[in-house]
Amino acid sequence: MHLVLPRDASLDGHLVDGAIGYLTLTTGVVFALALAFLLAALLFHRARAGRTWGQHTHGNRTRDRVLMFTVALVMFVAIDVTLALRATRDLEGRFWRYPDADPAALRVEVTARQWAWTFRTAGPDGRFGTPDDVVTLNELDVPVGRPVYLKLRSRDVVHSLYLPSFRIKIDAIPGMTTRAWFQATEKGRSEIGCAQHCGVNHYKMRGLLVARDGADYRDWLARAETDSRLRYDPAGPTAIGGWDWETGQ
Amino acid sequence: MSERQVASIDEEIEPAPTGFLRRYVFSHDHKVIGRQFLFLGLGFLAVGGLMAMLIRWQLARPGAPVPVVGKLLFGPSGGVISPVAYTALFTMHGTIMIFFAVTPILIGGFGNFCLPLLIGARDMAFPRLNMASFWTMFAATAVLTASFFVPLGPPEAGWTAYATLSTAIGAPGPGQTLWVVAIYLNGASSVMGAVNYITTVLRLRAPGMTYTRMPLTVWGFFLTSILNALFVPVLAAAMVLLLFDRLLGTQFFIAGSTPGAGGDPILYQHLFWLFGHPEVYILILPAWGIVGDLLSFFARKPAFGYRVTVGALCGVVLLSTVVYGHHMFTTGMSPLLGESFMLLTMIISVPTALIVLSWLGTLWRGAIRFPTPMLFCLGLVFTFGVGGLTGLYLADITADLYLHDTYFVVGHFHLIMAAALLMSLFAATYFWFPKMFGRMMSEGLGKLHFWLTFVPLNLVFFGMLAIGYEGMERRLYDPSVFDFLKPLLPLNRAISHAAYLLGAAQLVFVLNFFWSLARGPRAAANPWQVGTLEWSVASPPPHHNFDRIPIVVRGPHELGHPAARPLGRDWLSQTELVDETPPAAAPSPETA
Repeated sequence: MHLVLPRDASLDGHLVDGAIGYLTLTTGVVFALALAFLLAALLFHRARAGRTWGQHTHGNRTRDRVLMFTVALVMFVAIDVTLALRATRDLEGRFWRYPDADPAALRVEVTARQWAWTFRTAGPDGRFGTPDDVVTLNELDVPVGRPVYLKLRSRDVVHSLYLPSFRIKIDAIPGMTTRAWFQATEKGRSEIGCAQHCGVNHYKMRGLLVARDGADYRDWLARAETDSRLRYDPAGPTAIGGWDWETGQ
Repeated sequence: MSERQVASIDEEIEPAPTGFLRRYVFSHDHKVIGRQFLFLGLGFLAVGGLMAMLIRWQLARPGAPVPVVGKLLFGPSGGVISPVAYTALFTMHGTIMIFFAVTPILIGGFGNFCLPLLIGARDMAFPRLNMASFWTMFAATAVLTASFFVPLGPPEAGWTAYATLSTAIGAPGPGQTLWVVAIYLNGASSVMGAVNYITTVLRLRAPGMTYTRMPLTVWGFFLTSILNALFVPVLAAAMVLLLFDRLLGTQFFIAGSTPGAGGDPILYQHLFWLFGHPEVYILILPAWGIVGDLLSFFARKPAFGYRVTVGALCGVVLLSTVVYGHHMFTTGMSPLLGESFMLLTMIISVPTALIVLSWLGTLWRGAIRFPTPMLFCLGLVFTFGVGGLTGLYLADITADLYLHDTYFVVGHFHLIMAAALLMSLFAATYFWFPKMFGRMMSEGLGKLHFWLTFVPLNLVFFGMLAIGYEGMERRLYDPSVFDFLKPLLPLNRAISHAAYLLGAAQLVFVLNFFWSLARGPRAAANPWQVGTLEWSVASPPPHHNFDRIPIVVRGPHELGHPAARPLGRDWLSQTELVDETPPAAAPSPETA
């Protein structure tokens, strides 16, 4: 049995992996110590000839209590407090620091529905909801080395955009706009899943994330813009969606 | 308490009913109602377990026809579990196991049976309400069962029934409506039980049964009842609003893609988890209580740090009310709120660690015996340890970004809600069966049952942690749709095989249960040689439990007590007056 996380293709995914690694290490040590103590008690203090009576102590002496609280507090500081500080640093410094002011960030509007993802970028005019928007179904193409800034909505039920190779998961909820960002560090394909049960075909809500480097992304974008312009139909499904990025209207 | 008050309690002996209906069907007797809950819950435990087997079949062999029962259950699809059937299966598996199996067995069954006996009362404070609680639960099961047989099929929104999937948008059929009604009725039953249990503990404790002399089992049921009384109504409110959305055209939880118009699906999640997280503790608190007592009984040693344990249990109850947001980290909640919920969740690890330490302290320097109930208690210590520690991964928002809604979550909560709770309710069954039915269960079959349960159980749920670690999402009909999940098929298959073994092993329990019921050796009043009040009366106890209300003089865990040595045993009962003073000191007038 191999036990590995999916390949990390993102700038910040190692922070998630680091937290998971720290948890595995510390909880593993705690578990091993507790198990060793438990097994020692079961082995050495089992009833047998010469040990028919248990020790009559209620464990209510001050030193018993000090011991219990010390162990609990050491664990709390070593695991919980350390993790909480680390998580706060990573969340506020990276995952929740959205690239609002970064002109290089690729802005993508994600619309989830049963059971597909629609991805929309603004096109050359930089505005969403116009005929030059690049709209793709179940495929998100992103440039390597630039932040990708997602805003998500849902048209029917709660979905959750799940990028295992980028350690990102964010719900798409009717009546709300949620957001997330990531940055690809290497080119390649990876899968997009839906993590939230969204109905009978939840398992079919699969998308593809294609990270392309410089020239490859420019070529793809040129083709996609042409395609989108040719296919644009004011009465068609691609014209639905696309809202103003800043105001949400 | 004065002699006069004791006498007044003594006068209230209700004569045992003689008619069949009053004795066995519409009984007011907590012991009969407890057994009714137990049988109802065990029946649904079997149903929920069989559903788990079908789920595992689909994950082991996606799209293959189910052997033996396939044609019968899934005839139209040629014996194959369809995506619709699969969705219904995991929805009903979760619903049944939490609301209709573990709740009735642990709280309805053992809560009812134990509470009055362990505190020295003749019955619950409100015997008729107790009966109503059972029959409301029964009605809930009828409504839930009906949801299988309606047009458009059974409910499919998962046991959490998130809006808007559970509204007419995602689930237009009447099956989901019946689900909502069943959960509401189930909640009504729980609240009736809760107010009854709380009142019973507050008002009907025998003279001398102070709060710090109550067995930990009683503390567990008492605190659980407080949480039930406070938070099940929140779930009920969510169900009523959901029902309005489904039937009356309201939009509490319904919204379209445009923000600001319509209702708020997240409101449902807040209401659900405001109940749903305490629910975890509602179920685990009685288990903790039972294990705290039984570890002491079978280590032949007082519970270590009783007062610290009780304080920790109360601390968990308080904290359990302010941590539910960790179920919603991916909903884009405000950073301050998210970080607060993370920290509060982590603080729970302090009282939880104290509880586990008290168990380890109880075992240390005991003279540990290993009858079947003890084996299951130790099984709980192990599975709860792993379940609790894996919870830390999900409390940490960074790790949760990746692990949320994966099988890691499924493995984590099954280790607690399935593994630890099963261990506790089997321990409770083997322990109190003699008192409930007057006969002993087979030790040999019991030990076989333990090992055949404990090993595959851990394989199943450790396996789930592993596939979740590798990224597999929950509730996928066919994970092989995803390329990155294809290599997990062998592991999924191994988990399923362990699960079949786990399921089959329960036949040993069924055999032992019914064989012992009919043919087991007659139980003595106190087969385990412990001092709590239920073992001071006959097995099974008479209708009125106690001929005279006992007067309690000490705590529940006086094992290995030096003063018991002259009596030729190592325990003192909670009512026994003995000379506890060291030989040098003069005996006090009361004990002389």
